[in-house]
Amino acid sequence: MRKELISANQLFAMIILFEMGTALVVPIGLESGHAVWISILLALPGGVLLYLIYSYLYQQYPNMIISGYTQRILGRFLGWPLSLLYIPIFMYNGSRNLREAGDLLIASSYDQTPIFIINAMMITAVIYVLNKGLEVFSRTAEIYLLIILGMGLICCFVVIAAGLVEFENLFPIHAKDWRDALTSAYPSIWTFPYGELVCFTTILPHINKFRVAQRTGIAAIILSGLLLSFTHAIEISVLGTNIYARATFPLFTTITLVNLANFIQRLDALVILTLIIGVFFKMTIYCYAAMTVTADLFKVKDARKLAVPIGIVVLFSSFISAENYPIHLDEGKVFMKYILTYMCAAVPILLFIVHYIRKCLGLLR
Amino acid sequence: MMSISSSLTDNLDQLRERLGNSPDIIIRKFTLMSAQIQVAAIYVEGLIEKAVVEEFVGHMMSIDSFDGKHPEIISAKDIFAFMKEKARNVSEEKIIKDWDVLFEALFSGNTILLIDGIGEAIRGNTSGGEVRSVTEATTQVAIRGSKESFTESLGTNLSLVRRKIKSPNLWIETMKIGDVTQTNVSLMYIHGIVNDKALQALKKKLQAIDVDAILESGYIEQLIEENVFSPFPTLYNTERPDSVAGNILEGRVAIFVDGTPFVLIAPTSFFMFFHAVEDYYQRFDISTFIRLLRFMCLIISLFGPAVFIAALNFHQEMIPTSLLINLASQREGVPFPAFIEALMMEVTFEIIREAGIRMPSPIGQTVSIIGGLVLGQAAVQAGIISPAMVIVVSLTGISSFATPAFNMALSIRILRFTIMFVAAFMGLYGISILLFILIAHMCSLRSLGFPYMSPLGPFIAENHRDSIIRVPLKFMSKRPRLVNQKNITRMAVDKGKRGDSDES
Repeated sequence: MRKELISANQLFAMIILFEMGTALVVPIGLESGHAVWISILLALPGGVLLYLIYSYLYQQYPNMIISGYTQRILGRFLGWPLSLLYIPIFMYNGSRNLREAGDLLIASSYDQTPIFIINAMMITAVIYVLNKGLEVFSRTAEIYLLIILGMGLICCFVVIAAGLVEFENLFPIHAKDWRDALTSAYPSIWTFPYGELVCFTTILPHINKFRVAQRTGIAAIILSGLLLSFTHAIEISVLGTNIYARATFPLFTTITLVNLANFIQRLDALVILTLIIGVFFKMTIYCYAAMTVTADLFKVKDARKLAVPIGIVVLFSSFISAENYPIHLDEGKVFMKYILTYMCAAVPILLFIVHYIRKCLGLLR
Repeated sequence: MMSISSSLTDNLDQLRERLGNSPDIIIRKFTLMSAQIQVAAIYVEGLIEKAVVEEFVGHMMSIDSFDGKHPEIISAKDIFAFMKEKARNVSEEKIIKDWDVLFEALFSGNTILLIDGIGEAIRGNTSGGEVRSVTEATTQVAIRGSKESFTESLGTNLSLVRRKIKSPNLWIETMKIGDVTQTNVSLMYIHGIVNDKALQALKKKLQAIDVDAILESGYIEQLIEENVFSPFPTLYNTERPDSVAGNILEGRVAIFVDGTPFVLIAPTSFFMFFHAVEDYYQRFDISTFIRLLRFMCLIISLFGPAVFIAALNFHQEMIPTSLLINLASQREGVPFPAFIEALMMEVTFEIIREAGIRMPSPIGQTVSIIGGLVLGQAAVQAGIISPAMVIVVSLTGISSFATPAFNMALSIRILRFTIMFVAAFMGLYGISILLFILIAHMCSLRSLGFPYMSPLGPFIAENHRDSIIRVPLKFMSKRPRLVNQKNITRMAVDKGKRGDSDES
């Protein structure tokens, strides 16, 4: 099979859509109160560093995905089970995103529709795109990046034009706030959304040049970090810390407040659309990552065959894993703290260190 | 393959038998006085120009008028040699040895000369006959720009483009496709500008075609397109010579098919179907505005009724209160759900449109006007349809006419129904899910190996000068880049410059 190649633009679009996916809509880093936007910025360097590690590993093993070089670095007996762990984690993370989208949709206007139908439709689209391959997916991402940015501009404009922004909600920032911001930045925001980029270790081998991958990746992460910080700053400035912390979907609440000239109002559809698009891309990337890792570990020749089984597992785990939304959020905290941090940050850092030591000792190759 | 025998009577019998004594095959027999040798001239009535045939035959038979000047001509061989020489003077001469070639020449409008005692035939090009003259374009009308359009004659069509591009690099290749129809299919491109990879791919595909008949360029289109089950057309068709000229100057290939005024162009991109030649003739601001308008029409004609249904069924909160009350009061007596209402109206609209096309043309217009007005008005008054729905449906219908390419407008019409179904069941969420699938599908399409969504996905910044908007001609100094299959190397089409020559 021909190796699918993706361009810098496409990587850029995918990273931005992935980063903004759900992080744009759900509240992140609640511990820091009104300084969330600062924590997002504080976590940004960490995210870039993490990406540098991913791209370094990619540079060392340009034709391998994460499961490939884990086995190469740690040896087969340690590496194989370790990379096996990535499959359920990618799938669970994907199913979490699906659950969030489904719940927002049910809360907003589909109260009569079972979550199974809503999620199944989304999964259908994901399976379709996965079957078409990464190239098609990345082109789709390019088009949707423009759509998302367009909608973002509209949302920003209407929120500001409606005079909802109150900067008192953002300031003052005391020394204690800085400390809070830092504690929520590391590790919680660091891992979600930045650490989730570990999925891209399966996509990077499709880029021809290392430099391109590194530069565009960093640019995309920085841009998405700034956009996220900006969006959350606006959300807080409009809602105030109190409502922001309590709202399930703060961006949704923010937009519902907009009323321009009694005509431009109820733009919630835009937010829902943003979330759908974000979740779609994030989930497809997770499923793709799970798919390729599975194919790599179990020596499946055509990874696309796995799209349907993985899609179905993700679909069912999306609503079986938690009875209701609060439980889902609770599970999320545990998952993020005890699992995601290790798989996104600790394992790649470990790989990096082991690789470096072995390289220095001349034990590789 | 049967070769021609040397006996004239045998040959003529064979000819009559194989052509089933068709009366339009004219066989004229002459006996040359000088040598008492029989010669036959064969042509098909209607495919030839009478005067040319007379001239050709006259020249050939002029052997008799020499009266002793050519005493050496006594045998059939001599006559054949003489005629061969003569034929070269009169028109392009060619010697035919077997029947298949003979028939092909005969039905292309040639006159065939058979000489008794010689197993070879001489052919002279005398083609002519009735063809439609060049008229104004009927399907792609432009306010400004050349008025001429292609006809059914391949030669005329090729010459119409030749007249616009007077370059030796304008190359034409002709091949015959269709076992029975033996249709001439010509590829036209500009050597040095055309993408060779696309050209080779196209030739390969054309050569692989193995069918009985090619009656219209639509046959070729359906036989060479890559994704048969896609609703989107991947080949562009036009009947305007200036459109063909513009497209081959951008490095594309035009496929002319004998017998149809519609010329195919490949490779295409999705956005090409929303461009009209006039966009380049008008000033850039006007063209840009009109293009944006067309894309808006695309969105309306795809999503208009679907969004309306979704809003009424699922997202009432999206509609401003006063408008919602207004809509609700309109729909008060309507016995159907919004989806059924929309479906009824859309189907009616499609029926009127189809009937308007198929009706004899004098009544066609009337049907559409009467049908549209009366049905719409009556349906509202009868309380079956709400007035708002009539507005939405007619807006959608009119929007779909704004697409310059008719085949694209057709696929949009089909897709609209699908989107309406999904909207009725799942509202805006359904629409956006379908849109994911649709856009992914469009991104997966290729036209001769070129990504269909080309300037957007993959994103090519340079090509955006002429896709959704159009920048001033001065800034369009480069031809659009057609991305090759590997998505990295680009083809070198920068040899020629477009627009002002002093630009870089």
